[in-house]
Amino acid sequence: MFNKTLISCALLLTFSNTVLAEEIPISGSVESKCIVTQDTAGVYGNASPETLSTATADGGVHPVVRFDVIQADYYMARITHPTSFTESPALNDTVTWTGATSVDQVSDSGMSAYDSNKVEYDNVTEVDLSIAGSTWFQVESEADYGYGKAFPGGQYQAVVTAECIAI
Amino acid sequence: MKYIILLLTMISGQASLAHDFTPTYPKLETTHQSGVLKASMKLFNKRDDIRFYRVGVFDNEWNKIPFIVSGGKTINVEYLDTKRFDVYIQESRRRDVAYICTKSLTLQDGSTKSILNSRICSKVK
Repeated sequence: MFNKTLISCALLLTFSNTVLAEEIPISGSVESKCIVTQDTAGVYGNASPETLSTATADGGVHPVVRFDVIQADYYMARITHPTSFTESPALNDTVTWTGATSVDQVSDSGMSAYDSNKVEYDNVTEVDLSIAGSTWFQVESEADYGYGKAFPGGQYQAVVTAECIAI
Repeated sequence: MKYIILLLTMISGQASLAHDFTPTYPKLETTHQSGVLKASMKLFNKRDDIRFYRVGVFDNEWNKIPFIVSGGKTINVEYLDTKRFDVYIQESRRRDVAYICTKSLTLQDGSTKSILNSRICSKVK
């Protein structure tokens, strides 16, 4: 008697599980947002003793940052190229910094206008993200030490700041 | 094809370094404490090189505005984790508040690669 009840319960549980596991909903929502992604980490090349540069010709790698926006005209990209090292050996002479930011790749052909519409001041580049999609920005950075002086040996690190600001 | 995609992913190695902060236009809501408003924010960390983000609140001229964040102004968010938090602001500063931002905090790790600091700012309307 006990065995029959046990078997019946087991069958019932198995059956009921099978029936209940019919549909599993997946829900989601799309909202306005900006995502900042580091696509390529930059590297300073040191082709000549007095220069650290991200240029390929100098053995460096330009950092690339990607901005993804879901909706057009909601955000502005602001990219700041370095004007100081965050890590370096002791430097007893001036470092002259140059840099630039330009559009590298786009997910929409209309975004190529970002390069002509960008606003540049000091070491900052601002671009209105007026088209939904992804834009890759390439940052160039070069540091020259003293007047043809060789950079002392050691580790060097600088920071690129990528900001996405709601407008 | 699968191997090519895998190879490309391994070569790039940086494909998932994203910072995501929403909502774009947060609303300041009343709290149980009189004279205090709050904005509910969500931060998703898809940067495997970042574990900490700093919250900031600014006016239209980018001057700092005093605020409190549930859990502290520096937020620990593990890779692929989402953190929801509330930003508390004095009601008297309601008209001044323009931006709520999160900025990635990077550690000096001795590598020669340049670091990317990401900052996303939502606008309070």
